[in-house]
Amino acid sequence: MAKESMMTGCRAAAEGAKAAEVEVICSYPIRPYTAIMMELAKMVADGELNAEFIHGEGEHAQVSVVLGASAAGARAYTGSSGVGVTYAMELYSPMAGGRYPVQMTIADRTLDPPGDFGSEHTDAMSTRDQGWLLGWACSPQEVYDNTLMSYRIGEDHRVMLPQMVCQDGYFISHIPDKVILGEMSQVKEFLPPYRPIHPLSLTNPVSHGPQIRPDQGAPMDAMRAQTFLAIPKVIEEATADFARIFGRKYDPFVEQYKLADAEIAFFIMGAHSNTARAAVDRLRKEGVKVGMARLRWVRPWPTHQLAEALGHVKAVGVVETSTSYGGAMRGGNLIHELRASLYDLDDRPLVTSFMGGLGGETIWPADFDYMAGILSGMVKEKRTDRYVYWLGM
Amino acid sequence: MAKVHEITVWARGVLQDKEGRDVINLFAKAAQAEGKHAQAFDNYEDLPDRVLVTVRKYVRLSDEEIEHKYVYTNDKPEVVVIAEATIVKGIDVLRGMEPGGTLIINTNRSIDDMLKFIPNANLLATVATVDADAITGIRTIDFSGSEGGVDTTGIGKGIAAPIVGAIAKVTGLIKKESLAKVVSDVSGMERGYNEVKIKHFKPAVAELVSGAAGSKHSK
Amino acid sequence: MAKALPGYGTIVVPEDRVVPFGAVTPAPVGTQKLFQTSNWRVVRPVRDEEKCTKCLQCYLACPDACWIYKADGETLEWVGDFCKGCQVCIQACPEDGALVAVPELDFEGGVVRLEKPF
Repeated sequence: MAKESMMTGCRAAAEGAKAAEVEVICSYPIRPYTAIMMELAKMVADGELNAEFIHGEGEHAQVSVVLGASAAGARAYTGSSGVGVTYAMELYSPMAGGRYPVQMTIADRTLDPPGDFGSEHTDAMSTRDQGWLLGWACSPQEVYDNTLMSYRIGEDHRVMLPQMVCQDGYFISHIPDKVILGEMSQVKEFLPPYRPIHPLSLTNPVSHGPQIRPDQGAPMDAMRAQTFLAIPKVIEEATADFARIFGRKYDPFVEQYKLADAEIAFFIMGAHSNTARAAVDRLRKEGVKVGMARLRWVRPWPTHQLAEALGHVKAVGVVETSTSYGGAMRGGNLIHELRASLYDLDDRPLVTSFMGGLGGETIWPADFDYMAGILSGMVKEKRTDRYVYWLGM
Repeated sequence: MAKVHEITVWARGVLQDKEGRDVINLFAKAAQAEGKHAQAFDNYEDLPDRVLVTVRKYVRLSDEEIEHKYVYTNDKPEVVVIAEATIVKGIDVLRGMEPGGTLIINTNRSIDDMLKFIPNANLLATVATVDADAITGIRTIDFSGSEGGVDTTGIGKGIAAPIVGAIAKVTGLIKKESLAKVVSDVSGMERGYNEVKIKHFKPAVAELVSGAAGSKHSK
Repeated sequence: MAKALPGYGTIVVPEDRVVPFGAVTPAPVGTQKLFQTSNWRVVRPVRDEEKCTKCLQCYLACPDACWIYKADGETLEWVGDFCKGCQVCIQACPEDGALVAVPELDFEGGVVRLEKPF
């Protein structure tokens, strides 16, 4: 029976990287993900992890370094938070288009101005068009599990894409919770070694990333899009395999909590889903038929799975902890893709959104009661009054 | 849902950051060994700490699984522990406390002397002092542990040991025997447990006089 | 048939939570009224008027400019609003016993009292 210990999300991410035996790590400090690199540095220094630990001169350098390392055939690992994620923006598309399955661990932090450590999902969400796999964890245990699953999925030859494994800064990254680490035998069974397809090599020289003509652009994009059609199957296989080997079962795309007979539902991602689950239990005791759908993967977005999971619900409240100023709903960014997923249903749910947890603030249990009240009102009146509610404002 | 007991530890930055964290980690480990549920975490905004700035550490203790896990501060502290006595002079450490709370201070000054600095001491039912500096005389300054890292030098070697012993004696929320299994300096913890000085008051709920320094009615 | 479309709703920031436009704050000129650090200190420097030779080493050494010297009248005054008790002035003082560290708890006032740290 594996030992259970208390650890923060940062420590869990580092343990995941250690279990995956990453070969090249590139670090640069930014709070709150910094602790992950501190842990890894210690592991490397103590001889527990045999990896090249490189200190980049900035996040842009970090991602460049791991791109090169992956191109040469190493399993590479890096990470960032907040504006660090946006500083490295230039590299995300080359990384994805070059098919380097690097993993970037993100502990969310609000974007400047002016300089708030608290967690908002906008930092990683702003990279969602760049072609990476992108998913969120809701507990330190899931951070560890996602670290392993993402390498397995990203390095699969049907995929070969970089992955971002995200966790809420402070709530998940700094508050300890129970984590069970895997045995080395389990990890080895689950995660095969990285086999690059065309690594930089002295014996079989190749060129990575040459110039292309405009008429080659469309096929290149199309071939990258083809990959995303194939990924869901890989995710399902990996998640099932994980359950078989480690004994922890996850719904591959959407965690469905008391959703089967729900009339209203919260659609949420990340740390606050824990508070949402408790709120669902509490509201159910009061007779409210509420459920929760927790999104695990933003890219690839599980369009059909969400339509299936939420199609029967009468009103959905998207709890957004990221901003999309000027967006169609003048709120966050999850709602756009959720509405699109539900659009083609015959009897589609009413959808609204709630901006909560911004700036890294707590979402209180009472906030979920308020949201449930709004959703129930929408069901009664059979209409959506407004696209977005800003909690507390 | 079972009651969540909130314990807040105040310490001085850098010099006592690890000590403060040791107190909460010892408390949480002991509580978990007794089958209770406990969260122990640093206040997020106080870190990175600077020398002498106040830092806060939190424990949340409950008999059942804690449902609402993510808070920034203990809004209603039941027990406030002060690792460096001067802190009470410059910050309202009892902010948010409901009447009937407990205050434990690491100092060699008398309880009456300390109460002079606390205008809203009428919230307190129990005040205790423990001279942790004299008992252990060792302070561990260790930078591993900040920002979610590991505590390499062991927990409870410095003033944290007598302080956590005092907490066990004064509040009864954890048992000394559970602490003995996890603390590095067991004798220091035992001395804190035995040497803490406690005074009980009747918290003046009805007549909350603002500005009156430490109005006390002995039980 | 035209259906009333949902609106964007309203956003009303409570007055006590309003943040300056563009997060631009006044810059401290002279002293910083918004962030007083007197409650950081554990000891304060106490000057012995007899032993002090007004060499002004303390005045020069203080990183927070807590010693105020006025040339006419030759007065040397300690202003504790920002003194963190770093004791650099005490280290710098060449006279034995002219400047000593005294625990802050020995004094009644002199320290800002805050509701919360920030």
